[in-house]
Amino acid sequence: MNFAAVDWVIIVVYLILTFAAGLWMRRYVGKVEDYLVAGREMNVYLGIASLAATEVGIVTVMYTAQNGYLNGFAGAIPGITMAAAMWVVGRTGFVINPLRASGAMTLPELFEKRYSKGVRWFSGVLVATGGILNMGIFLKLGGKFLVAVTGIDKPGAAQEMFHRLHLLPLEKWPLETIMTVLLLGVLIYTSLGGMLSVLVTDYIQFIFLGASIVATSVLVLAHCGWDRIIASAGASLGSGAFNPFLAKDMGIGYVIWQLLTGFACVLTWQTVIARVLASKDPASARKIYTRTSYYFVGRFILPGLWGLGALAVFGNAFKSDANPELSLMAMPNYLSQILPMGLVGLIVAGMLAAEMSTDSSYLLAWGSVIYNDIICPLRSKPFSERVGLWINRILVILIGIFLLLYGLWYEIPGRAWDYLQITGEIYFSSMAVLLVCALYWKWTHAWGGYAALFLGAVGPIAFLFLSQTERFKGIPAWIPGIGSFVLAAVGMIVASYLGRRREAAMRGSQDS
Amino acid sequence: MLELLLKFFWHLVVLSSIAWYGFLVFYVGYRGFFDIIDMARALNQHHAANQDEKPI
Repeated sequence: MNFAAVDWVIIVVYLILTFAAGLWMRRYVGKVEDYLVAGREMNVYLGIASLAATEVGIVTVMYTAQNGYLNGFAGAIPGITMAAAMWVVGRTGFVINPLRASGAMTLPELFEKRYSKGVRWFSGVLVATGGILNMGIFLKLGGKFLVAVTGIDKPGAAQEMFHRLHLLPLEKWPLETIMTVLLLGVLIYTSLGGMLSVLVTDYIQFIFLGASIVATSVLVLAHCGWDRIIASAGASLGSGAFNPFLAKDMGIGYVIWQLLTGFACVLTWQTVIARVLASKDPASARKIYTRTSYYFVGRFILPGLWGLGALAVFGNAFKSDANPELSLMAMPNYLSQILPMGLVGLIVAGMLAAEMSTDSSYLLAWGSVIYNDIICPLRSKPFSERVGLWINRILVILIGIFLLLYGLWYEIPGRAWDYLQITGEIYFSSMAVLLVCALYWKWTHAWGGYAALFLGAVGPIAFLFLSQTERFKGIPAWIPGIGSFVLAAVGMIVASYLGRRREAAMRGSQDS
Repeated sequence: MLELLLKFFWHLVVLSSIAWYGFLVFYVGYRGFFDIIDMARALNQHHAANQDEKPI
């Protein structure tokens, strides 16, 4: 094990701070609005800390480092496109101004006003499905990172005991054990304090996370040196290491997909939009976007730099076509070799912070969509505040249980980033089209909403299943990715036109 | 020539990201603390005005 006493002290201090803060916020939860959008009292800097902490999890660090290891600097292109999209949206107020002013708690709620109750329900199902599947690999990758960096890969006395009692197969230690403990901790404070706990714990996590990312990046630069990183990237990956248009598995199609996804993500991803909806006013929401935008560049390039450090030290030892997940382990194995005593504790605390802030926000986001847009529309009478809060808490726990089970068996077919993007795409494309049309196109029709939702989801869902078969394994992820945007837009335009025409015909026949 | 420019670009991106993260940790850490205090105060006032909203 790479841990010393000082490392344990750092981690214990972090965990005590987080749990105390998370549980303390429960006292301010009086109604569903407090639980889901923090009573809409969040200000700019807390919003920046929360958004930044939420969007950087261990899973982020793992897949961005994998991108760096496999594609060099070009692997950071999704961060640049997302930062550009966020800055443009924050600067112009495109979508987020009218969205915050609408007073909705989720996007599907807005769709009911503009399209129909059915569109709200259907979009709620897609949002929850895409989001929960997306989150499915978080725990697995988080556990793998912690196991590799800390070196706790041998079963201890406690695990032997569990094994003898037939409660835990020995091969499930330590990955599954760590996943379970991580999730239980997050579930406790998220289910009790909702968004209020998430915001305050995100703030603490932002500080630990930011400090650990800066410290690790400086350490990697000091260990490898810039020239060695550049030379090894060029030798292993050629010009594609620096140019996304020449990189392996990338090219113009990939870059366009990243741009589309960047805009769709900052406009529709529930965990991002939740900060817009929880902000005090539209001006605060815009400031949160512009001031957080460059954070997304670092979100890709800094862990990517760690992956490049791993490439400089290990070469191609962690690349295998037969086992795509192997490349994920290059960066954690590299860090386990270079992190000195004391810094390991800070890094692990930072990464625990990253994982917990992401998990808590995601659990709450998908739980809120299921409650607000799938369960509530089915009832003629609204739930009381007390019942509503308890349903939300139970939903958070149920999603947690599903994630634990799903994370154990799903094998990622290629790059983790592609999996995350494709599962997000189940609703990214259709929701982006629905949202923009709802706010800016007066000819929309409920038929268009249904068509966009259905057609936008078909490609990514088909890809998820087909990519597990030998025949379709080689399809680049950007094809179904871009395809889903095109299909959703075409579906919206054609079906809205047909719906309007039918309405006009019916009005005509009634008049006559 | 293009590759040289790209290398310089990535160097700039890496260094500016480290600097930006370092700045945000301190600045947002400082300002965010007061945002939490303000949020708690506003929620307290709100709950005081609506006595029926007890923590659930």
